[in-house]
Amino acid sequence: MSPRVRVALFGAAALAVLPALFHVLPHLPRFGDHPSPYGDAVTASAPVARQTQNIVTALNFDYRGFDTLGEEFILLCAVTGVTVLLRGARGEETSARPGQVDGRPVLPPSESVTLISRVLGVMVLVFGLSTSLHATSTPGGGFQGGVVIASGFLLVLLGEGYRGWRGVIRSEFMDGLEAFGAMLFAVCGFAGLCVGMPFMTNVLPLGTAGSVWAGGLMLVINAGVTCAVGGGFAVLFLEFLEETRVDPGAEG
Amino acid sequence: MTVGWLPWVVAAWLFGIGLYGIVTSRHYVHLIGCLAVVQSATYVLLLSIGYRHGAGPPFFHPKPPGTPAVDAVVQVLVLTDIVVGATVTALLLALVQQLQRRRGVVDPQQAAPLR
Repeated sequence: MSPRVRVALFGAAALAVLPALFHVLPHLPRFGDHPSPYGDAVTASAPVARQTQNIVTALNFDYRGFDTLGEEFILLCAVTGVTVLLRGARGEETSARPGQVDGRPVLPPSESVTLISRVLGVMVLVFGLSTSLHATSTPGGGFQGGVVIASGFLLVLLGEGYRGWRGVIRSEFMDGLEAFGAMLFAVCGFAGLCVGMPFMTNVLPLGTAGSVWAGGLMLVINAGVTCAVGGGFAVLFLEFLEETRVDPGAEG
Repeated sequence: MTVGWLPWVVAAWLFGIGLYGIVTSRHYVHLIGCLAVVQSATYVLLLSIGYRHGAGPPFFHPKPPGTPAVDAVVQVLVLTDIVVGATVTALLLALVQQLQRRRGVVDPQQAAPLR
């Protein structure tokens, strides 16, 4: 199919849908004035029933925890798929030698970059941990915290170069961290079922809203999500950066 | 408010422009970027549905529980969707990388169907 035919088909399809869109748009609920009964119900019950200040966390790890478990496993499957595709084609052996473009020397990072990366790396890591630990008492949580932690790992690459990065961030550890996080989440969900309670029953003491320890089982699930997301993104970074290294076979 | 329909138009526009990019794409990495634009239309739509005039974030400190808050359900959907969407994008990029290595093709319009 030629590009011209494609665009013509797309244009025809768009023209066919456009009248329907214009017909529907004025009848949609007005922006900012949309009833949200589920949101209102959770907002009313969560601060007392779950002792959380952050309603998003209460929803994520408790009210619709079953759904989040499914999303957690989409994440696990996607990361596994990337690993199988890239590592499978590349082979298991690792090399600490970075690849290079012909005619461009690989310069070591300058001292100022190393210094800034070392200082910022620690700060980003602490910030990520703090975001994740205060899931129920601040607008934080495992998903955001895990991504922040993983991006802190990338500063190691920036500051220490490829060799240093490979030395610090171990693939086996990150694989394990991700799998452990997903398993912890699943165990939290299914443990209740084994003793006859509903799925993901919040059996742990809830504490009082505002405390770091408030939320009961949500805190365990949050820790699992932090491990899974942080480990998962670190595995992704590792696998894609491995693609840039010198092929150990060609190295001779 | 006269802009009551504007967020829906923005969502539809993002969806349409992303779809146009996918249809006319000449590089798989560009195509995946367009897919992310299509996906972001759903974020705009969901967050706009949850918005409420005069309401604060669904977080109750220091404001007491019971004060008006926007819909937290759609915020949860968007939060997990962004994180999971990023990993799925990585999976697609890995597929493109393998396609380029095995068959030397990065142009969707040149790629022959897989047998």
